[in-house]
This record gives sequence, C-alpha cells and structure tokens, in this order.
Amino acid sequence: MDTRLKHLAEQLDAGLIARREFLRKAAVITGGTAAGLHALRGMAPAQAKTKLRVWLFKSFVTAGNDVVAKQVEAWGKEKNVEVEMDWATFGDREQKFVAAIEAGNPPDMAEMNIYGPMRYKAALRDVGKVATDLAKAKGGLLPFAERAMQSDGKFLGVGRYSMTTVFFIRKDIMEAKGLKVPKVYDPDVVEFAKKAQDPAKDLFGFGQTLNRSDDGDGFMSNILWDYGGGVWDKDGKPALGTSFLKQNTAALQFAVDTIKKHGIQPPGVMGWTDVSNNESYMAGKLVTTNNGASLYFAMVSKKHELAAKTLCVLTPGGPAGSFVGSSCYNWAVFQKSQKPELAEDLIRYLEDEKRFAEYMQVSVGQAGPVYKGRADNPYWKSDPNFDAMMQNILRSVNIGYPGPMTPAAAEVQGQKILTDMAGRVVVGGLSPEAALKEAHARIEEIHKIRGKA
Amino acid sequence: MRGGFPVEAAVQPRVRLEVTLRRVLGPDYRMGFLFVAPIVVLVLALVAYPFCYAVYLSMTRKYVGMAPVWVGFENYVRLTYDGFFQRAAINSFIFTFASVGIKLVLGMGMALVLTSKIRFRSFWTGVLLIPWVAPTVVSALNFLWIFDYSLGVLNYLLVNVFGVLNRGVGWLSEPNTAMSSVIGVNVWRGFPFFGISFLAGMKAIPGELYEAAAVDGATVAQRFRYVTIPGIRNIMMIVILLSTIWTFNDFAIIYILTKGGPGGATMVLPVLTYEIAFGAQRLGEAIAVALYMLPPLAFVIIVLSNYMRKGRIR
Repeated sequence: MDTRLKHLAEQLDAGLIARREFLRKAAVITGGTAAGLHALRGMAPAQAKTKLRVWLFKSFVTAGNDVVAKQVEAWGKEKNVEVEMDWATFGDREQKFVAAIEAGNPPDMAEMNIYGPMRYKAALRDVGKVATDLAKAKGGLLPFAERAMQSDGKFLGVGRYSMTTVFFIRKDIMEAKGLKVPKVYDPDVVEFAKKAQDPAKDLFGFGQTLNRSDDGDGFMSNILWDYGGGVWDKDGKPALGTSFLKQNTAALQFAVDTIKKHGIQPPGVMGWTDVSNNESYMAGKLVTTNNGASLYFAMVSKKHELAAKTLCVLTPGGPAGSFVGSSCYNWAVFQKSQKPELAEDLIRYLEDEKRFAEYMQVSVGQAGPVYKGRADNPYWKSDPNFDAMMQNILRSVNIGYPGPMTPAAAEVQGQKILTDMAGRVVVGGLSPEAALKEAHARIEEIHKIRGKA
Repeated sequence: MRGGFPVEAAVQPRVRLEVTLRRVLGPDYRMGFLFVAPIVVLVLALVAYPFCYAVYLSMTRKYVGMAPVWVGFENYVRLTYDGFFQRAAINSFIFTFASVGIKLVLGMGMALVLTSKIRFRSFWTGVLLIPWVAPTVVSALNFLWIFDYSLGVLNYLLVNVFGVLNRGVGWLSEPNTAMSSVIGVNVWRGFPFFGISFLAGMKAIPGELYEAAAVDGATVAQRFRYVTIPGIRNIMMIVILLSTIWTFNDFAIIYILTKGGPGGATMVLPVLTYEIAFGAQRLGEAIAVALYMLPPLAFVIIVLSNYMRKGRIR
C-alpha cells in the first residue's frame, strides 16, 4: 500500500480526520498516482533505445545474407539495442563508405573486404582487443589475414571469412574428351581449352575477361605472380616495368594470347563485367572459368543441371608457381562510433563458432576460413569441390606481394591499372612491353603520391 | 549641446544616403532585399559554397577520411600531362559530338514525320518518347544484355534470324564497336527530346509561310531550308546546347556498359572522375578532373544563356 494512504488510514482510525476528508485525500492520491503512471507509461516507448548502425556486405550468396541479418537482429533483441542495418554490395560499397566518411556520418561498424582496413584506416578504430581475443580462441589468424587486418601495428579489422576464387571446369566435357585437370595455364589450360571447345556451337574453352573488373584484375595479378613477376618488389617499390619486366612481359603476352592467338576465349570477352563469365558458364557456353564460390552457390541453390557437372580445382599456375590473391572479409568499427563496446560485442556474438558455422554452411564454400581453427572444420570435407577452395585460401598471398600490402598497392587494384594495361595490348594495339611501361609510369605516380600521404 | 545645428548635421548624411539608395535601388529596396534574401542565401549555400569548396579541394591532396593538404595547381598540371586523362578528354569530345550530331539528324527526322499526315500520330509520338522517359539505368542494363556476345539478342538476330553475319560481334569488347555502342545507346535515349522540341517549334510556324513558298515554286527541300530551319533555329540551338551539356556529363550509360573499357577506349571524363574518386579515393584529383570539364561547358552555357536571353527579348 502507498505510504501516504497508509498514513491517512491510520489518521482515520485514530479519529484525527473525518471519513469525508479521508475519501477526498485518498482520491487525490490515487488519482494523481494513476495519472502519473499513465504519463510514465506513455513516455517509456518515447525513450530512445540504444541504437547501433551496422553496414553489412550483400554478397551474391543470398542465403548467407539472410543468416547474418537474422543473427544481427537476434543480438539486437537480446541486448535491447535498436540495430539499423544497411547493405553495401560489390558495386556500391566503396561509394557508400567514401560518402559516409566524408560526410562525417559513418555507421558504427561495417563488414569490409580485405582492402577496407587499409583504405579507410584514417576513419577506423583499433579493434586489437577483440581481434586478438577471437584469433587466440580460434587457433590464430592465417598469415595473409594476420597481415591484412593490421596497419602500423594496429588491428583495424576483425577477420571473418575468405572468399576465394577457384578454377571451374565442366567435368562432363572433360571426361567425354578424355582430358586431365590442367595444372598450369601454358600449355595445360590452352591445350585443354582447344580440345574441349566447339566455337561453332558457341562453346569456348576458357572464359576470363581482361576488361576493367575485379575478375579481370584478380586474374592479371595472379598471372604476373605465376610467371615470377608482379607489380611490386619485396621492398614495396614499383617493379612492373623495371626489375620484373621480363617476367611480366611473358605473363602479359600469355594473357593477351588467350584472346588474340589461341582463340580459346569468346570474342566478346573484353566487354565482360564481373557477372558475365558466371552467366556464360551457367548458360553452358564455357568449359572453364575462374570465379569465386558464388558461382557454385548459384548453381547448387538453383539446382542447376551444371552443378553436378562442375569440378572446382586449384587455380592453374605458371613457371614460377601457382598464386592466388587473398581475400579476408572483416568487421571494422569506426572512430566516430559512440558505442564501440556494443559494436565489439556484436562482433563477438557473430563470430561465435556456432553462429559462424550456420553462416558458413549456407554459403556453399564462399565463407572460407581466415582462422586456423576453422580450416579444420569437417564441413570442408563435405563436398569434393570445397577442397580446392580451401587449398587456394591457404596458399593465397596479399596484394603487394612479394612486398608488403600498402595503400599504393590497394590503389593500383582500385584503379584497375592491370586490366587497363592488358586492354591497351588487346584492343589498343600496344606491345606488351610498351603497355607495361605505360602502366609502370602510372604506378610510379601512385607510389609517389601515396608515399607523401 | 542638444537641438539645433549639430543634430541636423548628424542626421543629414543618413538622409542623403537613404535618398541615394532609394534612387539607385528603387523606393521599395528594403522590401526587395527581404524578398531576394532567401534565394541569395539558397544560391550561396547550395551553389556558391560547394563550388568554391570544390575549387579549393581540387588544389589539395585529399584522401578519404584525411585532412586536405594544399598543393596548388599540382593536380591540374599532372592531369594535363597524363596520357590516360588526355585519352579520356578526347573520348569525351568524340562521344559528345557524335551523339549530339546523330540525335540532331534523327530528331529532325522524327519531327518531320510527326508533322506530316500519318495515321495514329499521337500514338507514334508516345511510342517515340519511351526511350526518353525510361530511366537511364534500366535502359543501359537492357543494352548490356542486348550487346552481349553470347547471350545478347542483337547478335542472335544478326546471325541466326536475319543471317546478316556469320559470327556475332563483340559490341562492347572492341574499341570502335564499344564507342559506337555507347554512342548508340545515348542517341537512342536522347533523340526523342530533339524530336519533340523540334515538333513543337515546327507547329508554331504559320502555315501561310509554307503556302506562300509553295506558290513561289519552292520545292520541299527549299521549304525545309528556307522556312522550317529558320523557324526553329532558336529551338534548335537551345536543344543542341542543352544536349551537349547533358551528353558531356553523361555517366550512367558508359559506366554500366563498359566502365570506360576496353583498355580505356570508352573512358570519358565523368567516368574518370568517378574512378579517381571512388577507385583511387583521391578526392582532390577527382574534383580537378571534374573542373577540367568546366571551361568547355561554361562556353556552351554562356552561348546557351545568350540565345535564351535573345529569345526572351524578342
């Protein structure tokens, strides 16, 4: 009972106040309390819940997107946090980040690709505590991820998964023609493609664009490394048209020859975007192509007839070995965030092994490990095609290889200089050497400018 | 000391100023300022400030999330000698002049057809406006599919249906066909604007002029040359100039179809600006590229505004 009412009742019992006065005062107290409670109840929803702005990466693996969104929502409910989710995909994530950072209004946290921590380091918070805690609990980060997540000794990203590329082969055609899995591009892939293709039926042996795209740029990076060259030397200085000129010339010549000399690529390949090879492969017009696991996911999830006829193998190599560029999707927390501890809590929640396993399993090979512990998950033995994905991840190297991963290396990738270089030979009529020297000049300029930053 | 001469002496200059202001700016100048103030503030906030800030940023080394560092004209000097930028500038002019030229011819044809006595004229007018009404992104994505070598409808029609070619064409993969293709899409999208504007101009020409010309023995071509063209000259100039500005700034069509490829063959200045801003994340240099487009566009805008002013005076 309200103490004031109790006091009034005692006064009434003691005959200190009249019954009428008791009723009047009691009515005022109870009415006032009821009105107050009503007002408070009305105000309660108006009280702003703690809000967290989270930007997620919208991959082509839609089932994975659904899982992570569901998990973020569940965390919000559990912690009584209002989560404002937004999505950024391949085509618009950089634009969104740039606009938000420059406007001074970035989200609290975001899912970024491997270049994110390097590109936006001026706007990101050190997440060393959560990054090292999680790494320790999961057997440590794989070497490429360990390097990519750090800048100037600080962890700017918390590793999540690796989305690697593999070599897709039409197993049915390979078997029908009695061919073997190619190990190197030249001559294996060339011979394989020539024997397997049938241009008269619009079926081509190899589909790999050299046009301005992530696919084209990734292939060009890999092929330079395969031939013992690269864009940067081990000290992080430009080497495209100088110390690696000989190796790079051979690599570029090979890439161009796949289109101009060997005739193993579809005639329109220089006009392709990132999705073109996926569409062509699924339309049955390619025997082989390089692509991420999203192509396999698309076929499996749609129960496409080519899913069962597809073999994913290690990316072929060249005279110096077989190289694949790394990938490490990660969580980054922005400096402007007012709730970094909540963002870190959400990261820990999402990276919990049970929840990550749920995400990994629906991603059909796309959510590869960046932690040593996750590489041992039996899931990776559940489909023969996953083995190539796993092996490619384990041997992947970062941009800048054999030197360090630098902002200049990230910019060369961002500007698609390697595909521009290949395009200058394929359609611009330049010699490989001239194109390499032209691209080298652009890279020198970037190195000089980024060095001043 | 109060009253008398000193007070008058103090008041007199103010009165004189007031009289001068009323004479120069008009009797209601205070009210005028009040009415003009909102638009002045708006223009300063939304046009002048961003423009001045952009000019300032173009003279800095500005990376995402970092403070700008003043470098003077360094960005402009570097761009001037950059072969990639030079090619983009040349491509921009090729793209613009070819597109506007073809749109002019097609637009004129469209207007002439629609002024003649054809059946279902309103229907055809509506149909021809569809490309202009459709969102650019949707049109460009459709053309991306249409031009696809293996899966596109264009090659299918040319090879399998009409048998014009033995083998498909890589529309977006060769420099010449890629440039022609992006010009084609821009023309497809833009010519209805020319056509409808010319149509409106042609309808305003008095029929007596054509009758008089016919009586004087003018042929159809002569009537077009000496009656139609002078009658729509002002509209033609305005449409050409407006379209030149829009085409020079066109981004979506090229970005969606080729991203400036293959090998930079269709790289134009708006796409290069975007690539430097978001690919390289060098905001200062990207703005310098954008501002490089300013002199030719400013020239076109000045000519355009002169024409429009002339039209108003008449």
